[in-house]
Amino acid sequence: MAKIPVEWYIIVSVVLFGLGIFGIIVRRNLLTILFCTELVLNAINVAFVGADENLNLAKGQIFSLFIIGFAAIEAAVGLGIIVSIFRYRLVESSDELTDMKE
Amino acid sequence: MVRQFLFLLFSLWSIFSALLVVLLPNPVYSLISLLSTLIAISGIFFVAGAELVGAIQLMVYAVAIPIFYVIVLTALPWEKAYKRESHYRSEGILTFPLLIILYLQILFVLVSGILISPKGQIRGLIKKFGNSQVIGAILFNRYFLPFEVISLALLLGMIGAILIGRKEEKTYGQDSR
Repeated sequence: MAKIPVEWYIIVSVVLFGLGIFGIIVRRNLLTILFCTELVLNAINVAFVGADENLNLAKGQIFSLFIIGFAAIEAAVGLGIIVSIFRYRLVESSDELTDMKE
Repeated sequence: MVRQFLFLLFSLWSIFSALLVVLLPNPVYSLISLLSTLIAISGIFFVAGAELVGAIQLMVYAVAIPIFYVIVLTALPWEKAYKRESHYRSEGILTFPLLIILYLQILFVLVSGILISPKGQIRGLIKKFGNSQVIGAILFNRYFLPFEVISLALLLGMIGAILIGRKEEKTYGQDSR
């Protein structure tokens, strides 16, 4: 089987990471900001697994499993925060939350 | 050859649907393209030979986490979201140079890390036992404490999510608006 060079994985990972960061900056909706956070976490996973395959190690895959676990925690807590913000404030857009600024 | 073709297919697919996640205005369509991205990334994992991580990505990530989001999307009324604009347009253009600086930083770290990284310590083990068994052996020997810490963190996250998301009798938002 032909080996895929590690640079290709890194390129995919960096593009996905940049898209995720750009989405976190650009999106207005709180829930879509969480979607873009998931994109960032997955980009890190791609880099881990690609480097792992190229170096013939297995530790990166273990760390990507940990990242999947923490992504689940992040989704649960983030969604709880969004639901409570919506319930107390009736707000779902990030530019209406300006209490820390005032 | 087939492998490289599959890798290109999955990576282009994931990047395209990630673009859709960032660009589509409706949160529901954005969620569906996020699901497509997760499935494509699990395809990348399978191409890379990480069967265990790919299977967990498919079973846990691509199924469970979008279902969380679907539940929240259906539980909250989103009529207000459709009336407003969905992106910060001028802010996005203004912060783009910062993003490029971040990219350069990542590139520097990657290049300097690749130059000094170790090569091929357990290649024989992987050939002998297969990927999943090697991961299990390493996970339950050397990384057993972090594994348990993950379970503790999941418990804490569950308690925190319940505490944050419960209904309170009085809120300070009621008298202020």
